[in-house]
Amino acid sequence: MTASTTIWLLLCVLAPTLLGLATLFLPQKAITLRTLLALAGPVLSIVILAQHLAGHGVAAAADPMATPVISWIPLLNMNLSFLVDGLGAFFGLLVAGIGVLIVLYARGYFGPDEASLYRFYPTLGFFTTAMMGIVLSDYLLVTVLFWELTSISSFLLIGWDRYDKHAVKLAMQAFFTTGLGGMFLMGGVLMFGFATDIGLGGGGLWRWSEVLALGPGRISPSDPFIIASFALMLFGAATKSAQWPFHYWLPGAMAAPTPVSAYLHSATMVKAGVFLVARMFPVFAVLDLWSNILVPLGAFTMVLGAVVALNQHDLKRIFAYTTVSQLGLLMCVYGLGGMAAGGHPNIEWGITQIANHAFYKAPLFIIAGALGHYISRDITQLNGAFRKQPWMVLTMLLGGYALAAGPGTVSFPAKEFFLHAIHESAESIGPWWMLLMAMAAVTAMCNVAIFVRLLTTLMGWPGGMKPGASHGHDDHAAHGHGEHEHEHGPWAQMIWIPALALVSLQYVGGLAPGLWSQWFAPLETNIHHFAEGVPSALHAFTHPGVPLYVSLIAIICGVSIGLSPLMRGAIVDVHDRIYPAMYWLAVTGGGRAFRLVQTGRFRNYMVFVLLAFLAAYVASMVLDPTMLDWPQVESPFEFFPGVLLGAIICTTAILMPIVQSRVVRVIILGSCGFSVVGMYLLYQAPDLALTQLMFEIISVILFVLVLRMLPDKGETDRASGRWWRFSLGTLTGVAIGWLTLVSAQSGAEPRLGEFFAQHSYSGTELTDGRGGGGNNIVNVTLVDFRGFDTLGEITVLSIAALGVFSLFPRRKPLPTELEFDDQMARGVAL
Amino acid sequence: MTIILSICVAVVFAVSLYLMTGRELKSIAMGVFLLGHAANLSIIAMSRTPVRHEPQLLKGAPILTEGFDPANPMSSIVDPLPQALILTAIVIGFAVMAFLLSLLVLTSRKTGTLSIEELGVVATQDD
Repeated sequence: MTASTTIWLLLCVLAPTLLGLATLFLPQKAITLRTLLALAGPVLSIVILAQHLAGHGVAAAADPMATPVISWIPLLNMNLSFLVDGLGAFFGLLVAGIGVLIVLYARGYFGPDEASLYRFYPTLGFFTTAMMGIVLSDYLLVTVLFWELTSISSFLLIGWDRYDKHAVKLAMQAFFTTGLGGMFLMGGVLMFGFATDIGLGGGGLWRWSEVLALGPGRISPSDPFIIASFALMLFGAATKSAQWPFHYWLPGAMAAPTPVSAYLHSATMVKAGVFLVARMFPVFAVLDLWSNILVPLGAFTMVLGAVVALNQHDLKRIFAYTTVSQLGLLMCVYGLGGMAAGGHPNIEWGITQIANHAFYKAPLFIIAGALGHYISRDITQLNGAFRKQPWMVLTMLLGGYALAAGPGTVSFPAKEFFLHAIHESAESIGPWWMLLMAMAAVTAMCNVAIFVRLLTTLMGWPGGMKPGASHGHDDHAAHGHGEHEHEHGPWAQMIWIPALALVSLQYVGGLAPGLWSQWFAPLETNIHHFAEGVPSALHAFTHPGVPLYVSLIAIICGVSIGLSPLMRGAIVDVHDRIYPAMYWLAVTGGGRAFRLVQTGRFRNYMVFVLLAFLAAYVASMVLDPTMLDWPQVESPFEFFPGVLLGAIICTTAILMPIVQSRVVRVIILGSCGFSVVGMYLLYQAPDLALTQLMFEIISVILFVLVLRMLPDKGETDRASGRWWRFSLGTLTGVAIGWLTLVSAQSGAEPRLGEFFAQHSYSGTELTDGRGGGGNNIVNVTLVDFRGFDTLGEITVLSIAALGVFSLFPRRKPLPTELEFDDQMARGVAL
Repeated sequence: MTIILSICVAVVFAVSLYLMTGRELKSIAMGVFLLGHAANLSIIAMSRTPVRHEPQLLKGAPILTEGFDPANPMSSIVDPLPQALILTAIVIGFAVMAFLLSLLVLTSRKTGTLSIEELGVVATQDD
């Protein structure tokens, strides 16, 4: 592979965004052209990816080879390189492929609404690029970067209706939840990189290809840093893939227009977490934590989502909760994969599991949006919808049949694989497998019941849902055009045709398993027991076992529940309160805490700071008692002028609070300052002495001038506060004095100052022979070595000068608005 | 000599904190001014080598002269780094002083008082 492969794949990732942006340059009326241009983005991605696969094939699972590196930010281990292994290639084709269908669907959904399409396609392209980046990047940190970009683009798309406050709130909920997960993921990746670097030497593992090739040999399952980094990464995956208790954001994200729900929140973005888990699987599955977290978490999310889905009325919410359920199942699949069964990982056809869900869930969303567009999204309002929209209802029922995992769809063997894996897990977890099996059965039962309910309702058969008192949901509001102005012509049909195209893949897998196996076998890395291919539905019936019996029980129970009057209400998910509660805690609780601490009294702040300082001081004394040793000092009286100046400084300082007359106080302040000037001279600092002298003179004059303008009321000092002020001041003063004494006597050699002395005039090899070219070391240090510091100092001076200038009223008041208008008018007249 | 400087730092610091926790803005301003002196004295004490051998003014100032030995620079001069730091601090201290004094003048012009308690009363009246 040459560097040009990297560039091609970069183009593959960027194409949707580039062409999406290009649509902005088309006139707003050119809808057909706009749709075709937006379509070209994901199509281009597919073509490039297919071309790459034809030329280079899928990267080997054990020792994957990434494309050559193009330097981007080498210092941060962020470079451009792409890894097209089975998982990456599958996800890339899935994202771009469904992207094509969604572009078409959006054209049907938004209809001839130019303004919406104008805004929609670039945002959609942005999301597609972010998603392609996640699944193809070789560098972990680049993956994290794209991960965050999906959060941002998802925020933009959920809050599509900018004037709907509710939608914006839900968009923020999704953004904060997944963004938080992104932070955890980044922490995990950084920790993993450094842990593999420090613990093992030879450079950290910052690329997926290295992680997959070298990881198994270099990662110790008991290394606490590896475990911690894995836990952080898993947290990121769990929030993105809506695992309990963070699943609340996904049903909330249904505020988005349906093309967004069908794309982001069923097939692609929510799968990013599953993708990450699948990526980590070959390396991290050896950790005990892997199965111990993923299996219970996934199984619980699976059951919760399925049960809540059964108790919903809004089609989009029903499918959102089944998505939560299915994501839990996928996590559980990979969790079970961490256990060994018969000498190999307990997972079969993992990518087929992921593909299965995408191929029926996106169509279900698409039709939900279409039905909402033409009739209603509330299932109770849809009784007999088949008579009005036969094609849409038929497509939805095809998808619903796959949701129920009926024989003839690829969903059926996928569910059998899952039940098979649970059965096999008995080897590792003992009787707990029966609990898992029961949870899977309940989930399957709920899915079957949902399908039965859809079937009876939409066909208008007895046992279907009847209109109740509940209010309807529909998709009319989302794009604001009249109720009965529906478009006609081929473009209008795009509101359901993409769903049919996608769902037909389900039946290809179910009815022609050989063809499916031929497509997916090169991408799969986990084929053990079922090496000859995905089995047909017949295979399950000719080889009966526990999985088949459980399926049959689930189907029978599901059909009876679907027909029974049980569980037909719409319930509210308690987890919807999590984010509002957190929000309240942050905003209201934070405000209260703020007002408690921030009293607005200078004195309180001073006391707080000083007490904190003293506490830290005492703590460091306790930790390092040698600080209390009396340092080696020469006799204080060896040099008389020093003693004299010190005495003057101390005396004048002590006199300051005692003297009441303000002129005398200024004079005392001045004498203290001039003694400090003398002290600088003794310490061989002529520059300091000169500067201080100048400022001291100006300060005294300034003080005298200012005092004339101030009211002459003596210090209104109440006796009550004096003692604590005195003791606090004395304590802190003594502490800092002691600190000065100890640190001045500590012998840190060589001193930093030596560098400045040596380089003041001529340089050394340390500075490539460059020196400051000046004899006065302090001056050279200020203008040369610490030039930026001096720049900052000048800035402070100018800001202070500007501040003083703006504080005082100008001599000439600015013209008032009226006068200004008057002047302008005259100016125009002239 | 260091011990004298440390005593000065302790005393000046204590007095400035005493003034700054007071209830009168003029005293607080003077406290801020003194605080700058205390901090600067504390830093200059770190240059350590002052009048130990040669109590002669400016014999060891950090200026390159004939006797300078690049291999052992601290043998003939004092450490220049604390001086560079203090020079910056003096200038900024002056800027703060000027700004503070103008605030004082403006406050007293607008309210006629510089006592924190009376200012608090003025502030609540404005609300």
